[in-house]
Amino acid sequence: MKMSYKLTKADLRKVSYRAVLGSQLNWNYERMMSSGYLFAILPALKKIYHSEPEQLQDMLRTQNQFFNTHGFFMPLILGLDLAIEEADGHKAKDTVIALKTALMGTLAGVGDSIFHVIWGTIFGSIAATFALQGSLIGCIIFAVANLLLVFFGQVPLIFLGYKQGTSLVTTVKDKFNYVTEAATVLGMIVVGALIPTIVKVQIPFIYQNGEVKLEIQTVLDSIMPALLPILLVGFAYWLLGRKRMNSTRVILFMLVFSILFSALGLLA
Amino acid sequence: MEIEVYQIIFIFIFAFLASNDALITGILNQQVITGAIIGFIMGDVTVGLTIGATMQLMRLGVAAFGGATIPDYFTGTVLGTVFAITTGQGAEYGIGLGVPVALLMIQLDILGRFCNVFILHRIDWAIEKMKLGYISPLVLSGSLIWGLTRAMPIVLMLLVGDSIITTINEAIPVFIMDGLKTAGRVLPVVGIAVLLRYMPTKTYFPYLLIGFFFTAFLKVPIIGIALLGLIVAIFIYRRGVEQHTHQGVDASPTLTTYEGGLNEDEL
Repeated sequence: MKMSYKLTKADLRKVSYRAVLGSQLNWNYERMMSSGYLFAILPALKKIYHSEPEQLQDMLRTQNQFFNTHGFFMPLILGLDLAIEEADGHKAKDTVIALKTALMGTLAGVGDSIFHVIWGTIFGSIAATFALQGSLIGCIIFAVANLLLVFFGQVPLIFLGYKQGTSLVTTVKDKFNYVTEAATVLGMIVVGALIPTIVKVQIPFIYQNGEVKLEIQTVLDSIMPALLPILLVGFAYWLLGRKRMNSTRVILFMLVFSILFSALGLLA
Repeated sequence: MEIEVYQIIFIFIFAFLASNDALITGILNQQVITGAIIGFIMGDVTVGLTIGATMQLMRLGVAAFGGATIPDYFTGTVLGTVFAITTGQGAEYGIGLGVPVALLMIQLDILGRFCNVFILHRIDWAIEKMKLGYISPLVLSGSLIWGLTRAMPIVLMLLVGDSIITTINEAIPVFIMDGLKTAGRVLPVVGIAVLLRYMPTKTYFPYLLIGFFFTAFLKVPIIGIALLGLIVAIFIYRRGVEQHTHQGVDASPTLTTYEGGLNEDEL
């Protein structure tokens, strides 16, 4: 076996950029991100198996099998994969398959909770709050944050995966639990702040009985500011927990609910 | 106001780019940014920002986990902003229009994800024939499918929509229009609730109240809250790592344990 191409930093960086660009462009119902992974790793595989076309073909087939994770972590898995394939070549095929399968689920879970949910919530809320005041600053913060995440977070992950090899999996997995917990706390605090900032619903109803005039909203405000918004969130939260309910149905329900109550003069 | 041809062209190009960027850096498809850019093309950034911000808040927590299809808030924001400006009815009207559009356009995403299966099979073919030069262009051609499944319907709606929208407008009773405006204010509630359903809210509920009280009573702005949250998060992280290192001495995890651990997570 004389398969000794040593991947350079430039090779790895190229793979990582290809992952950023193409990981999901061919996302499909059959094998999800399989071809995205293949697209990213292709130039490196060509180099590793340059003298063994049959092994290359077999690895290309292997790398185009079902794969789905959070896009952010794809370079990490690619780095691990390449470290193994560079050392052991085609013999490592089963290890690579096992590693990809084992990691994609775990990292998809971490990625979805941190990036889809927490990241999107924090920067989405900041951008939306500024936008509602007519300012673009929040949008710029959001865009810059995403770019920094891609270039200084996502892309370099391939080096981490490549250098640390499989020993990384243990350490990272433990640390991730605490990162996720901390991120969740941050997310919860921001969401809590979001409720009074964003939901500007009021009860315009004024109770009148002879001399007595009672503005319901003023009474509510004196009990607790933003009482109605937090109650509505609680109501929607409860609705979502009912059987046969999903977010689309709750949205439709809230549409009808708003039209009805605003027609009755109870909500504005 | 009539929409100009150059505006339609710009919107087409933007929709094409943004629906691909959703899969790359995830910037242009953020509703608030989409709203600002479409608002700029149409000549009213403020309306765009307002619609985008509201749509952004509605979709909090509604993320496409593992390739799930969600309401197309992007298309909703684009069309809502355009029609709010062309009809001169303002942001709240645009929101009321954008939400049903977002729900209707769910099909586009499904269509795109199906069409890409065809490309996938061409890639299999390229591997079998060892035509390696075909692989990368084939993967990248998926961007045509993503781009066109969004940009084409948007332009179609822009071309036929204006007159239809006006007709519908005149036919809709006033109380429905007012109701839609109220709905625009109520609907972010659903986004927040979906988000809370996804997060471990039962365990972390007190933190939600910290954020709520600081804003409701003390009127701390959102950046202040984010910084406060960051400080709390740092404490939580440190405490976790410290506990872990204490336990780590006794448990002394070995390299071989990770495989078992990962398999459990897979379930």
